[in-house]
Amino acid sequence: MDATPAKRRRARLSITPYLFISPWLLGFLLFTLGPLVFSLTMSFYDWPVVGERSFVGLDNYRSMLTDDPAFWESLGITTRFALIYVPFNIVLSFLLALLLHHARFGAGFFRTAFYLPSVISGVALVMIWNWIYSEQYGLLNYMLSFAGIGPVNWLGEKNLAVLAIIIASLWGLGSTMLILLTGLKGIPRELYEAATVSGVPGWAQMIFITLPMLGPILVFTFITSIIAAFQQLTIALLLTKGGPQKATYFFAMYIYDNAFKFYDMGYAAAGSWIMFLIVLVLSMLVMRWSAAWSYYEGELKSEDGGRNA
Amino acid sequence: MKTVSTWIAGSLVASVLSLAPAVQAEEVLRFATWDSDESLAIEQAIAKKFEETHPGVKVQVEAYGGDGYDQKLAAGFGAGNPPDVMYMWNFPQYYTSLMPLDDLIAKDAAALDIKDIPEGLLNASRIDGKTYGMPAGFTTHVIFYNKDMFAKAGVEEPKDGWTWDDLRAKAAKFRNEAAKTYGFAVDAKPDPYDFEQFLWSNGTRYISDDGKQLDGYMNSKEAAEVLDMFGDMAKKQEAATINVGEVTSASTLFKGGQIAMMEGAMWNKSGIDKSGVKYGVAMLPAFKGKPVQSAISISAMSIAKDAKSPDLAWEFVKFYTSPEAIAMRKNDLPVRTSVAESQGMTKDPVFKPFFDILAVSTKERPAFLKNPKWAQIQENLAVAIEAAITEQGNAQAHLDEAVQRSKRFLK
Repeated sequence: MDATPAKRRRARLSITPYLFISPWLLGFLLFTLGPLVFSLTMSFYDWPVVGERSFVGLDNYRSMLTDDPAFWESLGITTRFALIYVPFNIVLSFLLALLLHHARFGAGFFRTAFYLPSVISGVALVMIWNWIYSEQYGLLNYMLSFAGIGPVNWLGEKNLAVLAIIIASLWGLGSTMLILLTGLKGIPRELYEAATVSGVPGWAQMIFITLPMLGPILVFTFITSIIAAFQQLTIALLLTKGGPQKATYFFAMYIYDNAFKFYDMGYAAAGSWIMFLIVLVLSMLVMRWSAAWSYYEGELKSEDGGRNA
Repeated sequence: MKTVSTWIAGSLVASVLSLAPAVQAEEVLRFATWDSDESLAIEQAIAKKFEETHPGVKVQVEAYGGDGYDQKLAAGFGAGNPPDVMYMWNFPQYYTSLMPLDDLIAKDAAALDIKDIPEGLLNASRIDGKTYGMPAGFTTHVIFYNKDMFAKAGVEEPKDGWTWDDLRAKAAKFRNEAAKTYGFAVDAKPDPYDFEQFLWSNGTRYISDDGKQLDGYMNSKEAAEVLDMFGDMAKKQEAATINVGEVTSASTLFKGGQIAMMEGAMWNKSGIDKSGVKYGVAMLPAFKGKPVQSAISISAMSIAKDAKSPDLAWEFVKFYTSPEAIAMRKNDLPVRTSVAESQGMTKDPVFKPFFDILAVSTKERPAFLKNPKWAQIQENLAVAIEAAITEQGNAQAHLDEAVQRSKRFLK
């Protein structure tokens, strides 16, 4: 007699939490997992937007890896971009976060100011940089003219265009900075006090306290920066259109062109999956490698403390 | 409360009233176009005319814009919801989703008077012997030249049968560093479709007629000659280079009186008219001893295979290619010889070169009709053209590379 209501209650209990998270769950199934599986299927097809689709197995992957120079070139450009962008993004964000952390006044103002570029939509950001880089009327060339440097064709020369895109991308480092700043604020003050009392110099405090305590957050920003670097599309697409002579033809743009210029959806889906695998492998390598230097004890301890309290 | 309810009642009445005409119109015909501004206004006017003669029909003109046209059209077909009638040029990509028109043309042969439309214009919308579009307007390419600049510099105006050597000799006389003037403009990023006219005129083409051979065509000696010539014109400052720095349009330079000659088409004409520059029009120059040819850009009208009311769509297409509608189009050239003649265009010195070159430009088929992967091949070609013009030479190496990189699309 008693068992039925109890059972019913348990059944209801097990459904209720899922109902609560159902908006997210539905969103995940419909807009993330669904398209993900769909794109994997697509990548095994010759899938034009208009006309017949046909199953081609691994052909898309095969011709991309063995037969398509544009694939390797765009991947090379993206890799080189990532090699410069990722370290600069983390180091500069870290330095900015440090400055803000120790700022005596106006911290709120500068925090907002540094974060502002990340709030602007990518397209608006590109418009601004377009004006800055303009050869004849640009702000940058105007300032350089005072130093006697002639007009530089920032977006028209192969190497400069890559540099221009890296600088424009770095401008949006506000969110990385904010995450690192939060991390800095989370380091217990007592550690520094104890170190100061024991006569540990500032640089040593940085190396032996700040960096290890910040470890997990650095790993996180490392991975998100790698993902951001590989997905770089907006700036290149709008600022240089992949030019001059394909010098800024990023991997994401290669995928975009295959999909929306050549309408080869299957081929583009295959490219997306290769990008996904690359990012996945890189992230796993970072995780594995970070175990050597990242210090997770800080987190564990606070978790422990939480449970005891 | 009272004001709110009256407001609601009022808006209800208003919405019912605004619905009323829509209810009356039984049929809506969707027509997609890539035009904007003036050309769009002309098309809307033609659609209005059609509505007048066909009560109960509403033509919904959908302007997708030039750059986004292909994407929106492809999305429409992909989603199974294409417009009924649309502007079309890329037949190889879309013909499987378009309605063949041959039976309809045969049925209405008398009314259509198809003989009035030059064969070269109809050919561009044929795939495997079937016709998928009716031409509505076209343009060939010509040289616009600034009469005042020619008079001031004491240079003789271009004559029929002139060559690139003549053009270069004239262009050299207009270079003035202080005034920033040039004789001509060379484009580092031309539309490859239009650019093929120079290869045709020099006796080669991008790709073999069966669409399977690039080697010996795109990278032939003649093709490299064309690019090297333009590179050399840039190097010797006979021509300004556009699309390398920030200058992106020859017509802007021409309208500002900074170049004396420019290669262009009908789509440049209304802008130049407005600028007030006194200009003349000449045929494209020939390469010495070879027949000159122009690219022909055609706006054709096609019907979707799954059009909701094919008969009405065909009526609309027929009306669009009727002399009455064609005469309304001012931003391109009339596809009907009778209209061109009745408007005196074939005699008018401004329009005559457009028609003269049309008469000799029917021998070649543009590359995109020959290979389904042309869009990808063209990407490699565009890089080669840009590199050769930017480096002002070395065309052969760049074209060889383009051919090499395009090999996989020939299988």
